[in-house]
Amino acid sequence: MDSTSYSVTSKELCLFLSRYAVFLLGCGATCIRLEKNVRRMAHAFGKDVELTIMPRHVHMTVYGKDKNEMFTSIDTVLHTAISFDINTRLSELSWEVADRKIGFFEAKERFESIISSRSGNRWVVLLLVSLANASFCRLFGGDWVAMLMVGIATLAGFYLKQQLLRRGFDARVTVFFCAFLSSVLGATCALYGWGTTPDIAIGTSVLYLVPGIPFLNSFSDMIYSHYICAFSRFVDALILTGCLSVGLCCGMLLMNIGMF
Amino acid sequence: MLLQILQDALFAAIAAIGFSAISNPPKRAYFYCALLAAVGHSLRFVLMQAPGIGWHIIVASVVAAFIIGVLAVFLSPKVKTPAETCLFPALLPMIPGIYAYKSFGGLAMSILAIGEESFNHYFYLFAYNGLTCLFILIGMVTGATIPIFLFKNISFRATR
Repeated sequence: MDSTSYSVTSKELCLFLSRYAVFLLGCGATCIRLEKNVRRMAHAFGKDVELTIMPRHVHMTVYGKDKNEMFTSIDTVLHTAISFDINTRLSELSWEVADRKIGFFEAKERFESIISSRSGNRWVVLLLVSLANASFCRLFGGDWVAMLMVGIATLAGFYLKQQLLRRGFDARVTVFFCAFLSSVLGATCALYGWGTTPDIAIGTSVLYLVPGIPFLNSFSDMIYSHYICAFSRFVDALILTGCLSVGLCCGMLLMNIGMF
Repeated sequence: MLLQILQDALFAAIAAIGFSAISNPPKRAYFYCALLAAVGHSLRFVLMQAPGIGWHIIVASVVAAFIIGVLAVFLSPKVKTPAETCLFPALLPMIPGIYAYKSFGGLAMSILAIGEESFNHYFYLFAYNGLTCLFILIGMVTGATIPIFLFKNISFRATR
């Protein structure tokens, strides 16, 4: 069968777009991008689509131009790790469909291969994150000793994060333990009186745990009036920041250092 | 001053590469993330620290975010990624993380505080850090998103 001339039914298209939507949202796309990508693909197949994006579900109806045949489905949003790589490739896919470069079956195949692709090397990520947080310490005015300690604290903390998440620990529990470990290690400077900026070392040692992308996505959704998603993403990010702070406070209490 | 600005740009670029690695960007986006972060963070540094300018951190963040938002929109068709892919990781070094957890710390201390004076002090720290953090975030995202919105035709077609 020639896939480009195949006439897709609303049901087939809806089931595909619904899966596409929950994966795109799960990998950390903003609501506005999701709407645009889904609508673009539906139009390419001569259909129209209306969707409701909720924090944990996507509810979608696909219909033909005359509204004679319709199909509705609800899917649960997948909570996978944030991946701009998958986000980018799924957006590319939507344009390939819109520009009629690929047909329905090929698009489905391409989609499955994109979502099953593996993320980058975790050791490289670990190293880059440690370097990043050490430079961050520098941006806040830390000296070389503080940078070194922050690098070590991040290395240990982020390694723990990777290991706990791989074993299926809850994200909030993970953030708490990582913040605790990193702040205890970051406090070494203060404990032994190394360097001139021990307070900056403790303060920045946990910053790699701040959920930056969820905060940014949340406000992006707010600007496009997706208030419910914006609020839920904001609360998610706030809770993680809270867990981070509690972990940090416990670490500082253990090392007998005050936050202010 | 020039040396300080360059240093700020360099470390912001390293920070952006590392923090963006957490959210798996496509490999070709790393360079642009680093470039945008370096421009954004050093611009904010100049706006806040340069003699005669000395802006507040909130205003400086908004302006810096707007400028790299414009840059990201025009670079994104070149990199063939959505504008957010380069822009959001580049904003990460400007996220006010310290304000965020200090406001939680202030909240905890104000609950545990004994006496009005000590409560007021910690509540002030909670409110000050919390509000500053919130408005930096809102301002940054608004500043960075306005260009995506203004140049819709470019930003949502970048992956075409």
